[in-house]
Amino acid sequence: MILDPILYLIAYPPLWQVLILGFLGSLAVAMVAIWFERKAAARVQRRIGPYWASPALGGFLNIIADMVRYVLQQLIIPGTVDRLTFYVAPIAAFIVSILPVIFIPLSSRPEFWPVASMDYSLLIALALSTLPPLLIIAAGWSSNNKFAVIGSMRESYVITAYELVAVVSILSASAATLTFNLVHIVDAQQPFKWLIILNPIAFLAAVLAVLMSTSAFPFEIPESEHEVVAGPYTEYSGALYAFNMGGAYVRRFVYALIIALVFLGGWAPYVPGPGPITGYVIPSIIVVLKALIIVLFISFLRAVYGRYRLDQALGAAWRLAIPLAIVGFGWSLLLAYIGVFH
Amino acid sequence: MPPKISLKKLDRRGGLFEGVKSNIHTLALGVKYLVDPQRSTLLYPKEYIEHRPGYRGFIIFIKDKCISCAACARICPSAAMKMVRVTEIDPKHPDKPRQKQYPVINYQRCIFCGFCVDVCPTEALYHVPFHDIVYENLADMFLSLEMFQVEPQRPATSEGLPVVYEVDEIKGLVKRRKS
Ligand code: SF4
Ligand code: SF4
Repeated sequence: MILDPILYLIAYPPLWQVLILGFLGSLAVAMVAIWFERKAAARVQRRIGPYWASPALGGFLNIIADMVRYVLQQLIIPGTVDRLTFYVAPIAAFIVSILPVIFIPLSSRPEFWPVASMDYSLLIALALSTLPPLLIIAAGWSSNNKFAVIGSMRESYVITAYELVAVVSILSASAATLTFNLVHIVDAQQPFKWLIILNPIAFLAAVLAVLMSTSAFPFEIPESEHEVVAGPYTEYSGALYAFNMGGAYVRRFVYALIIALVFLGGWAPYVPGPGPITGYVIPSIIVVLKALIIVLFISFLRAVYGRYRLDQALGAAWRLAIPLAIVGFGWSLLLAYIGVFH
Repeated sequence: MPPKISLKKLDRRGGLFEGVKSNIHTLALGVKYLVDPQRSTLLYPKEYIEHRPGYRGFIIFIKDKCISCAACARICPSAAMKMVRVTEIDPKHPDKPRQKQYPVINYQRCIFCGFCVDVCPTEALYHVPFHDIVYENLADMFLSLEMFQVEPQRPATSEGLPVVYEVDEIKGLVKRRKS
């Protein structure tokens, strides 16, 4: 068939996973998430939200118009900033945010992995996903603006709150399945032994950590606009601001992908078959849809929650989330001891 | 000795259980509104508010009823109403032109308090129940005697549907389409 080479080209893992899913996919997910965030908040708060740009689509074109505006807007660089860091930090943060996608398998067939071996992929993906906050702090620091510096400081405080929770709660999957290999973790959950059912405590802790790390409500502390304008992004405008804002949504999406694999069973109950369509495209779409559900849930929280103070967030993390994560880890050890997955 | 300040101790509600319960309640309430929203935004050109009788909107002047008493101009708290002098020719005595005074209004100043309408002894002024009209420049807002007598067209009525807002005891302010 003539289609086969084209299919294989599209399903070539670096192209499909990094460019199509990683870049365009996260862009689309970010747009849907932003639209849903505004629309859901409006519905709950008795408003209508985006509407007039396209009444039939619920105002979705409004988001595209916003993006076009960001890209075409004048890029204002204040005279007092540290120029190199100011330029590089948001772009680097955006790229580093996408990087973990390379180590996230979207199929159990080895020919469709972007890297040769998926051993330790969970560890590497987690490690890479903890990098962007440092670049955000650098962006705020280089802005040389009091709001940006306060925002960066808040970000660095919040890191101390969620980092441990994220790592411990997500690694509890490794404790239960006795492997760092994401493919094995997903295969162990086939067909419906999903960790969200078997270990909801760790799932809750992981979602809390994602909320804090991507500054979603109720932990939107670093860039809370009522207090510090836009936090680390105060001095940014135009395309660089779009990188900053998009980076947060990309990180949310990547975390959601990891959680979808680890807790929601990845492509389970589907079993990837041979060929690019059944072996790669369908399972990856299943995973992305599961991740999208998590992203939309996180967006929905904006409608119902207020914002915690910094000390309240740190208190909630150390008093509630870290014990939760540790209990979830212990629960996973118990699961492994009983031998649920083997 | 300074007075001792006694701080009232607030009883912190519940512990972990209360926290979990209130969070679940919050989420459930949010989902309820997400599924069944009760919006009160007015989609303006597509909908317009049908005001009740007695709404103090734009003011229209009926020249034939006016007795030129100037009560309206005197009571106006923001000096929006002014008397202008016009020369009229009475059909019965065409050879003797008369000087008369009539009010004109300046909508740059009017606060729609309705005093002028209330004070007029002959009901020569009345309100129309809306005030969504756009003037293209400031000078247009100073109405001439002729303009003051014309009832303006409400722009939203051509394409919009009338709605009313009602206060519901449970739902709060609700918007209803008028059939
Ligand atoms: S409504 Fe009030 S402010 Fe307006 S012209 Fe009449 S008296 Fe003056
Ligand atoms: S109060 Fe009435 S009658 Fe008197 S001048 Fe004004 S509009 Fe005319």
